[in-house]
Amino acid sequence: MDESRITEAAPPPRLDERLSRINWAQRLMMRPDSGAGVGVVLLLVFFAFAAAGSGMFAADGIMNWLHVSAELGVVSVPAALLMIAGEFDLSIGSMIGFSGMMAAIPAVYWGWPVWVAILFAFALSVALGWLDGYLVIRTRLPSFIVSLAFLFILRGLSLALSVMLTNQTIISGVNRAAKGDWLAPVFGGQIAQPVFVFLAHAHLIGTYRDGSPLVSGIPMVMIWWVIIAAVAHFVLSSTRFGNYIFAAGGDANAARSLGVPVARVKVILFAATAFCSALLGIAQVMEFGSAAADRGLDMEFEAIIAAVIGGSLLTGGYGSAIGACFGALIFGIAQQGIYFANWNNNWFRVFLGALLLIAVLFNTLIRRRVTGER
Amino acid sequence: MDMPLIEARDIHMHFGHVIALAGISFTLEEGQVHCLLGDNGAGKSTLIKILSGVFRPSKGEYLVAGRDADFGSPRDALDAGIATVFQDLGLVPLMSITRNFFMGREPVRWLGPFHVMKFAYADRVAREEMRRIGIDLRDPEQAVGTLSGGERQCLAIARAVFFGARVLILDEPTSALGVAQTSMVLRYIHQVRGKGLGVIFITHNVRHAMAVGDAFTVLNRGRVAGRFRRGEASIEDLQGLMAGGKELAELAEELGGTV
Amino acid sequence: MAQRIRLLFIAGLAALAFGLVSHTAAAAGQKLRFVFVSHAPDSDSWWNTVKNGIKVAAEQTGVEVEYRNPPNGDLATMARLIEQAAASHPDGIISTIADFNVIGKPLIDAVRRGIPVITVNSGTPEQSEQIGALMHIGQPDYTAGVLAGERAKKDGIHNFVCVNHYITNSASVERCAGFAKGLGIALGSQMIDSGTDPTVVESKVEAYLRANPKTEAVLALGPLSAIPTIAALKAMHMAGHIYFGTFDLSSEIVAGIKDGTVSWAIDQQPYLQGYLPVVFLANYDRYGVIPADKVILTGPGFVTKANVDLVEKYAGTYR
Repeated sequence: MDESRITEAAPPPRLDERLSRINWAQRLMMRPDSGAGVGVVLLLVFFAFAAAGSGMFAADGIMNWLHVSAELGVVSVPAALLMIAGEFDLSIGSMIGFSGMMAAIPAVYWGWPVWVAILFAFALSVALGWLDGYLVIRTRLPSFIVSLAFLFILRGLSLALSVMLTNQTIISGVNRAAKGDWLAPVFGGQIAQPVFVFLAHAHLIGTYRDGSPLVSGIPMVMIWWVIIAAVAHFVLSSTRFGNYIFAAGGDANAARSLGVPVARVKVILFAATAFCSALLGIAQVMEFGSAAADRGLDMEFEAIIAAVIGGSLLTGGYGSAIGACFGALIFGIAQQGIYFANWNNNWFRVFLGALLLIAVLFNTLIRRRVTGER
Repeated sequence: MDMPLIEARDIHMHFGHVIALAGISFTLEEGQVHCLLGDNGAGKSTLIKILSGVFRPSKGEYLVAGRDADFGSPRDALDAGIATVFQDLGLVPLMSITRNFFMGREPVRWLGPFHVMKFAYADRVAREEMRRIGIDLRDPEQAVGTLSGGERQCLAIARAVFFGARVLILDEPTSALGVAQTSMVLRYIHQVRGKGLGVIFITHNVRHAMAVGDAFTVLNRGRVAGRFRRGEASIEDLQGLMAGGKELAELAEELGGTV
Repeated sequence: MAQRIRLLFIAGLAALAFGLVSHTAAAAGQKLRFVFVSHAPDSDSWWNTVKNGIKVAAEQTGVEVEYRNPPNGDLATMARLIEQAAASHPDGIISTIADFNVIGKPLIDAVRRGIPVITVNSGTPEQSEQIGALMHIGQPDYTAGVLAGERAKKDGIHNFVCVNHYITNSASVERCAGFAKGLGIALGSQMIDSGTDPTVVESKVEAYLRANPKTEAVLALGPLSAIPTIAALKAMHMAGHIYFGTFDLSSEIVAGIKDGTVSWAIDQQPYLQGYLPVVFLANYDRYGVIPADKVILTGPGFVTKANVDLVEKYAGTYR
């Protein structure tokens, strides 16, 4: 930051400084997600020592913390985009529980085919996400407040509707209904099972006593995580919509005066966030075979924390989708790693809080260097 | 060319009981820098908001290239070739120069469902346009926040020029700048005039106005207090008019003529 | 500046890692290692008694037991905890069956790996057997509810309100449903979703009793709902006048039994749910011995004014 102050006072050396080439490492360090990327590596190295020999880095151990990261990543990526556009969605967690309920109740109690129930849950969730965004735009209230209201409304609806319609708060029997359904495995299933069978035969990964591999396949949530992250990264870095997102969060007035459809961008992102939350909710229901009203508790904060750790600026205009993935990875590694390292899990929160603080400090430093903020 | 780029006749603007403009007439010709001077509250901001399509005048005629202009939004004015650089510049400091340069007017091609930005082209244009002003960018991907105030102002002007503005309205472009930065901006205004664009230069700094202005209109309390061509008035004349005459003269006496 | 913070960060991590390595290395040795996974959120103090049972058993048998729980009670998190526990190659897993759908599969996978599993607390013996667990140690929730309901019916009760502090747990709902069944009525809307915040629980109970003055009995599902309910009843001067039963014990509940606010408490002897599985697993791992009974019921037993003195001394720690 001192550099820019000097150039402003004394312009002459400018030419040399401006033309001097920056190498790829410096360029890498200028990315908003560089801090989180370094964090992931450090954390892995840390647990490689701290949890040595605990099975954390065996195939099934890796799958365990990757699964946690993937579930968080599915929602932290859209949360990051929304944050870059200058808005929050605190209803992510409630939406996970709600969408799961909305898929499970029709499938189990109304006898709908599961794929219809899934589409119904998606449609309803996206519509509610759209409504959330529309209210934020129309009322001009902070999205913090509006989505906070949605947090309670959706959590309450999940409970009230499930009790009203079924007299239960846990809807079981989805797996029975989903048997043979074509859409359910797309969210709750696994792929690449033969690969793991092969690896097990080659004794590269552990097996059960009956010879089947400890890791039976890659859960679809992970695939969705990769897809969502790839699309989000592409949109943000390479498309016009990405430019709109940065502009909407960076300075909505300036963007609007130049013809950026700020309102539309934000509403679309709210709907997209709801879609991803619903995806996670449905994936959990299809994996576990039951829906519960309290699924996704606190996920909204975890998603926001992951986005912030990943370099997204709380006030909008700056951030990265890849960073949000790193944030989710850090979360998963730290949360499960603490168990592998045989720490008391109360320490996880201390660790997470410290991590959040360090990440924010670090990201602020990078951002100030890159953007000339003072 | 006889036809003025912009002609405003007897513009009135009322906000409820407040009369912001009470009959202003104003013309801008090609290749002219027309300075709009006035103290705070003189009506400069209201006038440029009308010219740039933010407000519709309560009464009066507004012609652009001889035709009646009825702008519903700044976007309409922009389409008619009238670009306004407000004090906030319409720049996002956290975003790169290229992204800012093309904000809202991104060069795209279709790729499946996506509008992909042509970054190679955009970077090249941004770099070339900035070099034309004499600002050599190390990297068009650097954030606008790293630019100095004068460079930002020039970027905002360059953007407007690149996207085909015929009329530039600059709202106090030099008010927050140091000496070197100001001369950079004034030099660029001069350069833009050379291309045949019309420039409306709003300022309350008479020296800056005198440096580049071809014509001067002084506003005071919503009316035109004076109208001059280059060389017709001195700095003191303009300053006196802006302040409504007396008060400033008194102050000058008090302070020993340094204002 | 950035450089320095980065260095500090790395140095801190390295120091932590070093400390941990030496710690785990010292602790590892040849000790048997069990993982105990419960569904209880951090706020549930009732589990302290279970933890005490675990501690005593671990000391007596010379094993190491790690206690884990989802901090906010989300069962999806609990499923990951079980998967994680299995991946860390423990010598045994002890888990509750909060929802068979969610945690059944991870537990079955653990059994398939050859890890001995004992299920405790909530869940049914049938579910435990389906998992392939060695045994189930606990109190069947529905049955306990029915027994309590029958007792209340004998005492002349016709309706009640169930204060449910953990409404998303099916075991909690079954307690209420069982009680209604024992009374011979339908549960209907006689259940409050109270949450776990004591002030909120208290005001919700007050509001319900004001709105439904004909309520004859209150059923709380544990200390989290019982303690604020005692306060609410005292505030409304209904303490001792309304029939009040609760699941589980705590020092406040014991005091309530003594002063007549609480008519009875259902004791499932949580200490045993922590103590027994550890002892059984340790002996199973070492000598291959385990009781032939697949189910050990630790409850329900009723604590009333008549037998409360026995309980009082250890309430909240071992009772």
